[in-house]
Amino acid sequence: MSVAEFVKGVHDGQIDVVEHIHRTLEECKIINKEYGYLNLISEESAIAQAKLVSKKRKGAKGALAGLPVSIKDSICVKGVESTAGSAMLKGYIPPFDAGCVSRLRQAGAIIVGKTAQDEFGFGSFSTNTGIGFTAPKNPFDRLRSCGGSSGGAAGLAQKLSVPHVALGESTGGSIVNPASFCGVVGLCPTYGRVSRYGLIDYGSSLDKVGPIGKTVADVALALKVIAGFDEKESTTATVPVEDYPSFVKKDVAGLRVGILKESFGEGTDSAVEKSVWGAIKQLESAGVDCREISLKIPIEYGIPTYYIIAPSEASTNLAKLCGLRYGAEEKIEGDFNTYFSEVRSRAFGKEAKRRIMLGTFTRMAGYRDAYYVKATKVRRLIIDEYKNVFKKCDAVISPTVSILPPRFDEIKNLTPAQNYLIDALTVSPNLAGLPHLNMPVGKHNGLPIGAMLTTDHFKEGVLVQLGAALE
Amino acid sequence: MNTENAMTNAKQFASDVIIGLEIHVQLNTKTKLFCGCSTQGSEEPNTRTCDVCLGFPGSKPVLNKAALDAGLRLALALGCTISPKLIFSRKSYFYPDLAKNYQISQHELPLGAGGKLALNDGTLVHITRAHLEEDPASLIHQGSAGQGYVLIDYNRSGNPLCEIVTAPDMRGAEQAREFLNRLVSVLEYLEIFDLGSCIIKADANVSIAESGYIRAEIKNITGFKEIERALTFEVERQKLAVQRGERLVQETRGWDPAAGVTSALRLKETEADYGYILDPDLVSVDITNNMVKDAQANLPELPAAKTKRFVEQYQVKFEDAMILAAERSLAHLFETVAKKFDSSFAVRWLRHELSAVLNAKQTTWSAAGLDERLLLELFELVQSRTVTDLTARDLLQKLFERPFSPKEYVAKHKLASISDRGELEKIAKKIVDENPQAAEDVKSGESKALNFLIGKVMHQTKGKADAGVARQLIMKILER
Repeated sequence: MSVAEFVKGVHDGQIDVVEHIHRTLEECKIINKEYGYLNLISEESAIAQAKLVSKKRKGAKGALAGLPVSIKDSICVKGVESTAGSAMLKGYIPPFDAGCVSRLRQAGAIIVGKTAQDEFGFGSFSTNTGIGFTAPKNPFDRLRSCGGSSGGAAGLAQKLSVPHVALGESTGGSIVNPASFCGVVGLCPTYGRVSRYGLIDYGSSLDKVGPIGKTVADVALALKVIAGFDEKESTTATVPVEDYPSFVKKDVAGLRVGILKESFGEGTDSAVEKSVWGAIKQLESAGVDCREISLKIPIEYGIPTYYIIAPSEASTNLAKLCGLRYGAEEKIEGDFNTYFSEVRSRAFGKEAKRRIMLGTFTRMAGYRDAYYVKATKVRRLIIDEYKNVFKKCDAVISPTVSILPPRFDEIKNLTPAQNYLIDALTVSPNLAGLPHLNMPVGKHNGLPIGAMLTTDHFKEGVLVQLGAALE
Repeated sequence: MNTENAMTNAKQFASDVIIGLEIHVQLNTKTKLFCGCSTQGSEEPNTRTCDVCLGFPGSKPVLNKAALDAGLRLALALGCTISPKLIFSRKSYFYPDLAKNYQISQHELPLGAGGKLALNDGTLVHITRAHLEEDPASLIHQGSAGQGYVLIDYNRSGNPLCEIVTAPDMRGAEQAREFLNRLVSVLEYLEIFDLGSCIIKADANVSIAESGYIRAEIKNITGFKEIERALTFEVERQKLAVQRGERLVQETRGWDPAAGVTSALRLKETEADYGYILDPDLVSVDITNNMVKDAQANLPELPAAKTKRFVEQYQVKFEDAMILAAERSLAHLFETVAKKFDSSFAVRWLRHELSAVLNAKQTTWSAAGLDERLLLELFELVQSRTVTDLTARDLLQKLFERPFSPKEYVAKHKLASISDRGELEKIAKKIVDENPQAAEDVKSGESKALNFLIGKVMHQTKGKADAGVARQLIMKILER
């Protein structure tokens, strides 16, 4: 059943929302035992919310009435522990809803829990978990990664049998990457399209909230609900929100799609290549004009640029976490420096520490110009090159990730640099703030393969249109 | 600083003492710089706070446009060039008063730069930059040093500050004080600073010729008087140190107002590196030519221009004009009184009599909050000679204790001057008769004795006699 059909059922009174949410929560618990997609199941508040909807109160007529939704742990839900997957924020119960969460609530959606992720989003496999957290497992093979950092969101979107949309968050590919590894649709919108208010920041100039679901229509509907200007968030755009679901049925004939030359060949798994080419053929047969394009600077400089800007911002964003006011704390001994150093030494995971050090270094006096300032300039070049390509194309297609979901024991042996290279194709649209979408386009040895479509700013409608053509 | 640098500096500076200031002015907006919390109200700790000014994970700052307007007016009033964009940066350092362990400030592109403010003697104090930033929380130290603990009150966290950085153009503590006076005067004119409740803070760079201008930075001096005290102390300290043959070092010092001394602060090397990045949570705001033009057009006539006009239009002495123009509402009062009566009357009663009362009460005309009409009523009584100057002075004092109608008060307490010459002559005659010795002395030309007799008349009449008339009458009586 699609989300739209489910919501219609609720509107028509054919679905008992309370009964349905009980069933959903039970399923969540069973799945969670095996796959670990949820850091927390918010059973009580979900039931209370369902009762409100069923009594025709708040959200009963909403666009997502009664729909079970899950929220990435880095997105604040009022009254529900929101940790961003970190021991540092264990016990942090936000006194407010994130902008996207309050929009979901108003539309009648019911929050079932907080999904697992890499600590603060620092990873591509959901294996850089915070202390005391466990890595979620791939829905097709529990010895493999479900991608990251929104791994729990994508895994739950695949595994949950009832209609459901997961909210993920992407800084450098954290929506499309796990969507690809879990065989679901993930849409990362334009930077500024969805409010970041209430998102526990990773890299504020890069962070974007977006939906993950089973079908393009499901995520299009969810995006329409959460998108739009928010007076509490300065970087949200006032550009009008389109009716994304209406793009599902729009003819794609005549659209021009650029095939990203640099994303094929050396370093890309042949099975991945084959499936993505299959998708390209599918688009061509639907009348899409597909031709090769090149994005030299984005591909060559995306990773270094991203791994300077994102940690620079992250290291300042994480500074506030010092054991005062909320989250982890220690017995107060010694002065402030001793105290916060102790809290941070104990409660941050290894990758969080690495990125804090990396980001502190790249903005230090004497290195700042060579790294942080230069990276911001290269970022501008990356945006310019994309903008040029979009003069000739409506979208760009490439594999989402160049490999199949790896096994946990393989991931263990990767160096940090090899690890970061997994994001090679996803960081550049993220640096440029461009909307991008993962579409499942095939399988190899039972493991899903995804293709990534990228469009110009605020052209989420075209993404939906092309994505639907690949379903 | 090495010798070579010291030599260059010695050539560069013409003065013995060099002072530069970094001043933090709290702008009097209703709400904080990046959230809707009130800047005024309950003093109960941590009551005027929200997720933003407490730095909760997930919260995001949103610029208060009123603070930009206030900052823009200030930068323009100081003659600064305005940056075409308003951009904020994160200034990172770990300190318990910072909710986010970074301060949202401006780094690359300050709101204003390249301004100046002239001092009395023509010295130009150059304004290097004027920028907006958020105030940290206040720390309340408990218990003894080393044993104690610190409480944090976030009510202040996020209040809008304008930081004004000057070039090292001041040649002593007195000039620094004058500069601050001028600055506060401008702030008061712009109505962006509340002298009563808003606080002024400064960091000061001080160096002297004898040491080759080796600079000490005194951090975080709070309040007007303390700034001058600290600077005076620091200049003396440096001079004495050099005289004793000590070598000064470039250092950061703290001011202890209780002990009245500055002392070296132990600072870690890393604390100087703030790792600035642009604040990605805020968008850059265009400051258009129209915005600047509008703000410029809406600036009031500023103290310097007003002083000049007072001298030209009312033939007031420069020093008097300067003092009258230093406070916006006082300047307004001056013009009202000068027009209603005349300018020398206005100078006498405002610049001298009123100022004396206000100074004694350690307040200002606007802060005292007296209804202007009551004062004008009193001045009418003076002008019409209904009361003597002595009575008027007394009434002026009383007005600031509890306001009343001078006219009614004079009637009720029978304070009108004795205009009946015959009656006054009777009193004078009686005084002369009662003081034969003094009368004799006056006759032999002792002015002291005359003043004594006049005083007696004034006393007898409870100040209602016109001293000049009393003098005439006494002389007349004695001549007979």
